[in-house]
Amino acid sequence: MSALAVEGLGKAFAGEHAVEDVSLTLERGEFFSLIGPSGCGKTTTLRMLAGLLDPDSGTIRIDGTDVTDRPARNRATNMVFQDLVLFPHMTVAENVAYGLARSGVPKPERQTRVAEALDLVDLGGFGERDPADLSGGQRQRVALARALVNDPEVLLLDEPLASLDRALRGEMQREFRRIQRDSETTFLYVTHDQESAMSMSDRVAVMRAGGIVDRGPPRRLYSRPRTRFVAEFLGDATVLDGEVVGRNGETAVVETQAGRVSATSETANDHSDSVAVAIRPEAVTLGDGDLTGEVVDAAYKGFYEEATVDCGGARLTVRRERSAGGSTVQEASTDGGDPSRDRRFRVGKSVSLRVDRAVLVEDGDG
Amino acid sequence: MATAERRLDRLVASGPALLALALGVFPLLVLFVESLGPGLGPANYAEALSPLYRGALTYSIGVGVAVTAVCLLVAYPVTYWLAHRCPARYRLVGLVALTLPLWLNYVVLNYAWVWILARGGVVNAVLVNAGVLGQPLEVLYTEVSMALGFVYIYLPYVVLTMYVSMERLDQRLMAAARDLGATNLRVFVDVILPRTLPGAAAATLIVYARIAGAFATPEILGSPGNVMVARLVVQAVREYIDYGFAAALSFVFLVAVLASLAVGALFPRVRRELRQW
Ligand SMILES: Nc1ncnc2c1ncn2[C@@H]1O[C@H](COP(=O)(O)OP(=O)(O)OP(=O)(O)O)[C@@H](O)[C@H]1O
Ligand SMILES: [Mg+2]
Repeated sequence: MSALAVEGLGKAFAGEHAVEDVSLTLERGEFFSLIGPSGCGKTTTLRMLAGLLDPDSGTIRIDGTDVTDRPARNRATNMVFQDLVLFPHMTVAENVAYGLARSGVPKPERQTRVAEALDLVDLGGFGERDPADLSGGQRQRVALARALVNDPEVLLLDEPLASLDRALRGEMQREFRRIQRDSETTFLYVTHDQESAMSMSDRVAVMRAGGIVDRGPPRRLYSRPRTRFVAEFLGDATVLDGEVVGRNGETAVVETQAGRVSATSETANDHSDSVAVAIRPEAVTLGDGDLTGEVVDAAYKGFYEEATVDCGGARLTVRRERSAGGSTVQEASTDGGDPSRDRRFRVGKSVSLRVDRAVLVEDGDG
Repeated sequence: MATAERRLDRLVASGPALLALALGVFPLLVLFVESLGPGLGPANYAEALSPLYRGALTYSIGVGVAVTAVCLLVAYPVTYWLAHRCPARYRLVGLVALTLPLWLNYVVLNYAWVWILARGGVVNAVLVNAGVLGQPLEVLYTEVSMALGFVYIYLPYVVLTMYVSMERLDQRLMAAARDLGATNLRVFVDVILPRTLPGAAAATLIVYARIAGAFATPEILGSPGNVMVARLVVQAVREYIDYGFAAALSFVFLVAVLASLAVGALFPRVRRELRQW
């Protein structure tokens, strides 16, 4: 039986659909992410699942039981809120114990379980502190412990890492993953950060304008997106329109604005001749290719460089790792005398490109 | 140069300090000396603490506590609704409407209630004519009419003070409590109450002593048989011309008010929430 089964969930605010016909199934012990741009209805969906907001339509089942009409306190879900919202007038231990106290767990057992939960999130001994005296990452863990200690069937997490810096975010992502495995809880993780969703999740659903447009394992979604939106949202693919001019099994040769590209097809696009092709920046190699273009923009991104290349009016993004032991910015600007050694992208320079991988995607809103 | 500047600083700072001293402490000091009488003895205090006056003291404190409690009881749902449920554009209108009585003379406000509650007043006229009542209600000049007047006059202060606290109350904390299994009552006890307690405490500080020491409302709306401290003080000054006794009675009252506030602050829960202030 699935831990969470949602069918046809919908909610409108003042006539505007915030969530429309969302269906989801989460297996027990799964780490499932719901990602989508800001305002697409992620928080609204979670609030309905938690019982904090009444849906207009649809059913919610937890562990097979229909809970659609139950208030939040009678649902086996707990939520880690977008801004944590720890109780500022309670200590860390009191925060974590709150849910247990409400469900009538006697005090001695409460204390042991709170201590265990704090240990699980590496905060053993922090129980007597005030939440205000903790760092952002520690507060994060308290919020997680406060929800997890109740042993929910499904833990709902609403962008809990959005306010942390990059390094801490990475660390917390690994922590979340570890805690999820250790506690064997089903996680429904909401974020607009595709990177964290991809790295943590067993499965991902992509949401857009209130509906789910695609779902699957991160690898599948990334390497074989079905729609233009998913391709662009997950990892900045460039999508070009084109005509199929030849086919070879799974592969189609597509004539695009930029030139000819071979693309793998996965979906029903096959029978139409007008198609869209998604190309990932890292699937483009510089030099000895069929496509030519001019560098119109170049950016230094740390361990790689990124350029935008204009190929017959289509703009392709190209990434190149900086060679190991390669020039730093200062070196590059001083050894500019030897163009063959200068690996930087130069704006205005003509380059040739080869597209190694491309995928046919559905166009439009779907 | 530097010392001249410092001297100027001190001069400037001493102004407010002296003013505070003159307004706050000096009159009290004078009053205290007065209360000791020409013999500088405790005679006035002995009288002020006699059973005759003790009754009025406890009654005043009781009225203060009860009316403050009623004001808070009314202000909680009203300010909650205003800050969290009322559409934003009607909020100011609502707040102004609720605090309108602040802008009128309180003697007039008291007499408004005489007119409303009298035998032939508005309430009775309407209710009797509508057939709801067989005969007019006798509420004027009772504790009920006095309490109504008190609440009417002091509620605006409580509403204004509580509103500030309520507005700062974070809705998401309530959602978090609900998610963790709290019923509506628990949400109130565990989130709303502790988060708004500073507002309630401030409101209490503002109105409680004024209600307990009020003169006009009990005189105009209350029963002649229920004596509050202010009437006794006024009597001592006007009728008996006994300033010393009036001063002693005032001091005893001041101590009683402070003591009752201290008792309130002794509740561990109240203390804890106030410490975050
Ligand atoms: N209480 C509300 N009243 C009216 N409209 C609302 C309410 N809550 C959400 N909305 C609207 O519903 C839509 C979805 O909002 P939601 O908060 O679910 O987005 P989100 O995906 O969580 O975005 P973000 O990533 O920025 O948190 C938005 O257009 C928002 O304006
Ligand atoms: Mg959100």
